[in-house]
Amino acid sequence: MILNLFLMLTLQLSAQDKEAYFCQNEYESLPVQAQGRVKPLRVLAEETLRFISGSSKLDDKSATEAFCLLSLESMGLKNNLKLMAKVEHVKAKEFLGLEASVTMIDANTLVENKDTLRAQYMSQKENDSYKKELNKLLTRAKFIEELKAGNLWTVPVVDNQQITWQALPDFLTEERVSRFKDSGRDPFTSAFYESKDAYVQVAGDAYLLELTYVKYNLFTWSMCLALMALGFLVVRKKVGIGLFFVISLLLIEISGIMMRIFISGRAPITNMYETVMFSGFGCLVLALIIYGIKKDKLYLLAGISYNLLCLLMMKFANNMLDPSIQTLVPVLRDNFWLSTHVTTVILSYAALALSWILANIVLIKKMRSQQSVEDERYDMNLIYTCLKFGVVLLSAGVILGGVWADYSWGRFWGWDPKETWSLIVLLVYMAILHGKYSAWINNKNFVPLVAAAFMSVMMAWFGVNYILATGLHSYGFSEGGAIFLGSFFMAQTVFLIVYLLKAKPKIDKPTQA
Amino acid sequence: MNNLNSVLGIWTNWAKQAEKILGHVKFAVVIILVFAICLIYGTFMESYHGTEYANRLVYKSPFFFFIQFLMFLSIFTATLMRLPIKKHLYGFYVLHLGLLLLFAGSFITYTSGLDGSMTLPPNLAVRNVQLNEDELAVSFHNRGIKLVAPMPFKATPVDLNELDLTANHPDLAQIKLIKFYPFSDLKIEWIKSPQHFSLPEQSSRYQLFNDNFSEEITLSMVAESDFSMSASLGLLNVHYMPESMFACFNKPLKTKYILWNAFSGECSSLEAKKIKPQKTKEGKVRITLLENGDKIQFFPESSPLPMNDKMESEPNKPWRIFGLELFEKKPHLFTFGKHVAYYSKDEKKWLTDSFDEKPLIELPWMGFQLKLLNHHTDLYPVRTPTYVKPIQDGGQLVSGGEKAVLLKIKERPYWVKVSDGPNDLLVDGEKITLELKKKELVLPFELNLERFKMDTDPGTNNPASYESFVSVFAGNGNNQFHIYMNNPLKYDLFTFYQASYFEAQEGQFGSVLSVNYDPGRFWKYLGSLLLVFGSLWHFVLRNRKKVA
Repeated sequence: MILNLFLMLTLQLSAQDKEAYFCQNEYESLPVQAQGRVKPLRVLAEETLRFISGSSKLDDKSATEAFCLLSLESMGLKNNLKLMAKVEHVKAKEFLGLEASVTMIDANTLVENKDTLRAQYMSQKENDSYKKELNKLLTRAKFIEELKAGNLWTVPVVDNQQITWQALPDFLTEERVSRFKDSGRDPFTSAFYESKDAYVQVAGDAYLLELTYVKYNLFTWSMCLALMALGFLVVRKKVGIGLFFVISLLLIEISGIMMRIFISGRAPITNMYETVMFSGFGCLVLALIIYGIKKDKLYLLAGISYNLLCLLMMKFANNMLDPSIQTLVPVLRDNFWLSTHVTTVILSYAALALSWILANIVLIKKMRSQQSVEDERYDMNLIYTCLKFGVVLLSAGVILGGVWADYSWGRFWGWDPKETWSLIVLLVYMAILHGKYSAWINNKNFVPLVAAAFMSVMMAWFGVNYILATGLHSYGFSEGGAIFLGSFFMAQTVFLIVYLLKAKPKIDKPTQA
Repeated sequence: MNNLNSVLGIWTNWAKQAEKILGHVKFAVVIILVFAICLIYGTFMESYHGTEYANRLVYKSPFFFFIQFLMFLSIFTATLMRLPIKKHLYGFYVLHLGLLLLFAGSFITYTSGLDGSMTLPPNLAVRNVQLNEDELAVSFHNRGIKLVAPMPFKATPVDLNELDLTANHPDLAQIKLIKFYPFSDLKIEWIKSPQHFSLPEQSSRYQLFNDNFSEEITLSMVAESDFSMSASLGLLNVHYMPESMFACFNKPLKTKYILWNAFSGECSSLEAKKIKPQKTKEGKVRITLLENGDKIQFFPESSPLPMNDKMESEPNKPWRIFGLELFEKKPHLFTFGKHVAYYSKDEKKWLTDSFDEKPLIELPWMGFQLKLLNHHTDLYPVRTPTYVKPIQDGGQLVSGGEKAVLLKIKERPYWVKVSDGPNDLLVDGEKITLELKKKELVLPFELNLERFKMDTDPGTNNPASYESFVSVFAGNGNNQFHIYMNNPLKYDLFTFYQASYFEAQEGQFGSVLSVNYDPGRFWKYLGSLLLVFGSLWHFVLRNRKKVA
């Protein structure tokens, strides 16, 4: 029996290794098939652990080692890992008998409570945040079960150039493993590597790019560089060094984005995580271009600030932005239109974000010191330049969306919430621009209005997905995205009110310099 | 002459005033904002109440068209006011001309375009395209007359002002349209019993529940009711019986048969009638009843109805025999209005219970309890459409999904609901069919779904693509086509897009195509092009020159 092999293996290992059996971090490069894609084991391990517990590490083990050990439970091998599952909703905690301050439940306890959770789920008539949390907990329980049954870990078996994927317990047969008894290293590892080599022979090793992508944490490095750039620009006032950091940061981001493109085989703009990533990048590129034309370092400052905001969100808001690379729903599987339409819209949002940051910077400036009419006109023009880019890109983006919809659904315009909101954004900015052409909006009012108008972008970008798409029953602002959006609206509104109360009166005559 | 001049003068003055107002930038700002507010309202309505409600309430409403018309006027006059052509406004002209063309194209699409869907079951030729509007169709089969009334595209209940559908046909039974509910739920309403049957006219409504489950059950013995005499909830079957029969369940029975007169309501045990069940040669139970010298025989294992010698059932005879053993294996609940009876497997006997002194009855299955909500002998329940604002959840309507129109047929009220499909009625001995459905367009050719293919992402059940292989028959042989996402079929004037699919039978899939004819397409594309080019010119190129 295969257990004999385990026994043999455990005898060979030192006492310290016993706890890990043959699991090792090097397994991170093994190919697995999951959610319709082939990826390195480490990626699946991190995604799974993050989904269950919110963290991609477990005790002192790496994700790969922990994933391996937990999967081996299916073969009767015990471990000392203490896998915990996230519980977020207060009512769910109450139902599971947890204190309100506790955020985790023991994975086994969760699985044991599966039936009562399902009964509770079925008895909830309203599809509210509690019911959704119950559903999430049930999914977590299912993942824990599948993980511990070894079913999440699929191993490629190549036969006659054909690849089939077997769950771990089906793969580790005595026949297969015992062939490697005398191979020098442990037979299990040998079996895994043999399967990996056979897979690479047939399908190539392109999937390993994702391992590099995950390992290098390019966007974390970008974040550090953005901080440095900001520091040199604001504190040390060294534009040259700041620019150097900006360029290096852009190069790193380009490599990250390119890697994502190669891994997924499509434009990097198909989920919230990617649009945030791309808008941060696009905004800094635009800022650099406008800086090149207008030579005002305020553009650089605004571009880096926004880029940094995006990177912070990508790093810390994983509850809302899922960094994993997923397969696409059929309707989006058209690279040409996806690349052109979505890219244009996200770039327009990036330009509008630039105008938003600039507007807020100008507002702060105004609160701190009095401004002359010239200053005001100058600031207004800074922002207006970004608006022009944003509005042109947005009209093009909205129209490209219409053309794509016409091409693939047979209608140019269908009042779908996403397209309607992109039109609303365009209308809001159009109202501001037309108001500016008439005398309704003067240079002074222009700035707070542009700052406020960005809320419409946020609504079109995040609100449609996190507020509108969830339907009537989820208006409780209880989920990550809705809380984020609500806080954003609140913060921007409060800031505008403070500005309106505190703004220094305008000096009518130009001051003598 | 003078008069004419002064009238003309006033007119020109007005026109100038109107131009001044409509073409003013401030007017543009106002109209843009009103338009945006309508849209914001529309998206929230859609989120709460679903796409169709939002379309009916906002996007396809006359008010919204009026706003769009004002927007068109604003752009048009603003452009006129900036004529003759000035060089620095080239971008402005192109941009605004683009917008005008977009509006014009959309208007053409709206007035003379077509947007519908086509449901293709596997291997069945289809010609009909379903459109968005609803209509009521009334067919008088004998005379070959079909009357059609379009239903208004509104979000709220519409009073149809007793419109006489048969006004041009005085010889037909008069049908008047009373009101139309675009969204409704069927609510239970209790109405007065006709009292013309000898059968007990009782109806009851119960709530069956345990900790995890709750369901309301309505049962009625009145033929006109929308409810029947039995219900099944998973494994449990509920049978509704006349109250008079409870007496027989309530006393101990030696043989497990209950004899019941369906006309008089009288019931008794076999012992009381001194009848003994016999066995046939095949081992089946046979019970013979003597009435007025007439021999009536029953085979209670197969049917409660009497059988004649040819083994045909005779429902016209009043007697029925229930063999209780049939209801002992699986969970069966007999309710008699205020009483219930069931077989207890633990106690191995039939038990009864009543609501007389207590509100709840405990049942022996999974902690279920039964509550009597209503019980009437002079009223019976019907499902009446009641207007509700629809509620959507996850793209599906969870409430308000029914459409219904109220008619008066020869002054008698009658509801026609979409969920009923075609309603066949006998009016003055003539068969008529009423149907509330989507308006349809009949294509000059047929589509036949030969194969539907759905690919999934490897190792998952997530669809990766939907593909329909269809053949088109237009009278001159078949043409094969392959329709999938982002690859529509253009045929004749129409374009067919892969929209959705459904499971027709086990493993057999049907396909839903959206069908589209858009005569405004060219103008919309031209407008789009000019708009993008114009805004580039206006905002970017012009400024570069200024800088230079």
